[in-house]
Amino acid sequence: MRTLALAVALLAGGEALAVTPAEQAQIAQLDRLRAQVADQVHLAAFDLVDELVYGWTADPVFPSETQVVLAGVTVPVGLGTGLQALIENHLAAVLAENPSTHVQLVHCPQCTAVVVHSGPEGTVISRGIDDPEVLERIGGGGGKHALFVDVEAEGAWLVLRARLTRLTPDLPIVWSHTLSTAAGTPALLRQPTHLKSAAEARREYLDALSGRGNSLIPLRFAVRSYAAPPSWYDPPGTPPPPFLWLQSGVELAPTSARAWTASLLAGVSYIPQAYQGLMTQARISRLITGRARSLTRPDLYVFGGIAMMTVWGPGTASFQAPTPNGDDLLTVASPREILGTFHLGADLRLGNRIGISAFLETLPALSQSENLGEYYYGLGISFQSLGSEVTFWF
Amino acid sequence: MNPFALLAAALLAYVRPDPAPGLLMSKERSRQLECAVVTTQAAVERRPGQLAPEGSRGDMADRGAVLCSERLLRAGLRAPRDEAILSTLELRVSELAATAVSVRPDLSDRTWRVEPFHPSAQVSAKIAFATKNALMAHGAAVSDRLVTLAAGDVDVITRMAPDLAYPAACARYAANGSLGEGDALLAVVLRDPLETALHAGVCADGRWSWLR
Repeated sequence: MRTLALAVALLAGGEALAVTPAEQAQIAQLDRLRAQVADQVHLAAFDLVDELVYGWTADPVFPSETQVVLAGVTVPVGLGTGLQALIENHLAAVLAENPSTHVQLVHCPQCTAVVVHSGPEGTVISRGIDDPEVLERIGGGGGKHALFVDVEAEGAWLVLRARLTRLTPDLPIVWSHTLSTAAGTPALLRQPTHLKSAAEARREYLDALSGRGNSLIPLRFAVRSYAAPPSWYDPPGTPPPPFLWLQSGVELAPTSARAWTASLLAGVSYIPQAYQGLMTQARISRLITGRARSLTRPDLYVFGGIAMMTVWGPGTASFQAPTPNGDDLLTVASPREILGTFHLGADLRLGNRIGISAFLETLPALSQSENLGEYYYGLGISFQSLGSEVTFWF
Repeated sequence: MNPFALLAAALLAYVRPDPAPGLLMSKERSRQLECAVVTTQAAVERRPGQLAPEGSRGDMADRGAVLCSERLLRAGLRAPRDEAILSTLELRVSELAATAVSVRPDLSDRTWRVEPFHPSAQVSAKIAFATKNALMAHGAAVSDRLVTLAAGDVDVITRMAPDLAYPAACARYAANGSLGEGDALLAVVLRDPLETALHAGVCADGRWSWLR
């Protein structure tokens, strides 16, 4: 009986030590989260390293080239050593590209290794850097300096601290600095060979945002096609042909974020022997993929607007109301129609330089026309026309 | 695509999420944000392009801005006590350094050493680093040299009550020569594992005094 109880107890202990599938899933989830955070943090950390090195180029700590040991790089508690290696490599790369910092990184295995020193006062176990007298004896000191870098996540801020310590017995700190950046601040992604100050980089960003002003001139090629009427109409209706339009005008935005834009365009359409037309169009667009237009990824806008167009020529007879019959189409040489329309659509833009859009348009005056069907019906509105556009902004 | 869904998306994008927990913001997401109320001018400066600047004749209506930033590390990635200390580390060590420099002007010509006392080695290193930088920022001379105790001293001191242990350790630092006459030690101490406040004490000439 006692043997059985012991066996049960051992088994129970074994169960307690084992990692359950739920715990494994939690650990995996935590690792995924850490990797995700490290991805987000590393660009900001690089930014701070760039700023640190830029500071040394502008105001060097040392008057001449000085040997410096990269004594330690620490990363936010909770993140892994992968980030540490990334920061170390980036720091070394940026320093190598900027000799004007007068910081020459040197390799010193004795400095970071744990050394044991026994003397009359006792035995001391420490890193070489922490015991420069011992370091001197084993040939690792030699007037070098040690650079310590620490990166820490403090709320919404990423903080970089750096200090330079002279490797003499007193280990005086000769320089220290603390830099920080907010979580929401976009990384400057500076070129290692052409570092800029944060102020200069901000100036460039603002110039890129507002450099083209708040008004743009669009040049737009549009095609409007009209839905064919249902086949059971008697007599069967004849839909208008697709209309090509060339439009231009002005597009305004209240701020350089271009979250809202409004445009007023004039257009012309000319197909010999078929139709000609003139139009004006007003449109308001709203950015839905962010609060400000992006410099790096496409922006999606939704828009709504009105248009007034006048068309004439043989190909425009189908716009007549009441619905023309075959004789009308043959006898009226050049019918002229004036149409008012409303449209809704979406516009995908790249850097506010080029864009492609699609829209649905309703022609209220022709809602009962037997020459027009509908592409979409909703909320009591029949959309008889489908349009697509390609736009270039200048 | 349904044009009304697109229109709804446009309207939703216009409705800026309120950082307070509510219909569009969960409590968890809200806790991840650090927000501050700022003037329109400050908001335009800090988030260029996202807010219309104030007109030359002022605004038609009173405007203000709430700027929010998401915390870098999500809740649960670090121990709650470490998170509480690290998330406000700069503020805490700046206060400690300012207190040390202002309360002990008699130590202004000394070289400061920093020694953290925290159960986590990682967090201790962070506290020490930040405190050294903060002292340097206040114009103090700081050294990276560590203070040391003999193994026998450690054995005795770690069995003493905290109120006695820190003065005893201070006396031993002076006696064994690791803290010289030209030095002063700023100890940053987490006195109780259940608290998140950092205390500070100064050791100079073998005498210990609590700063806060």
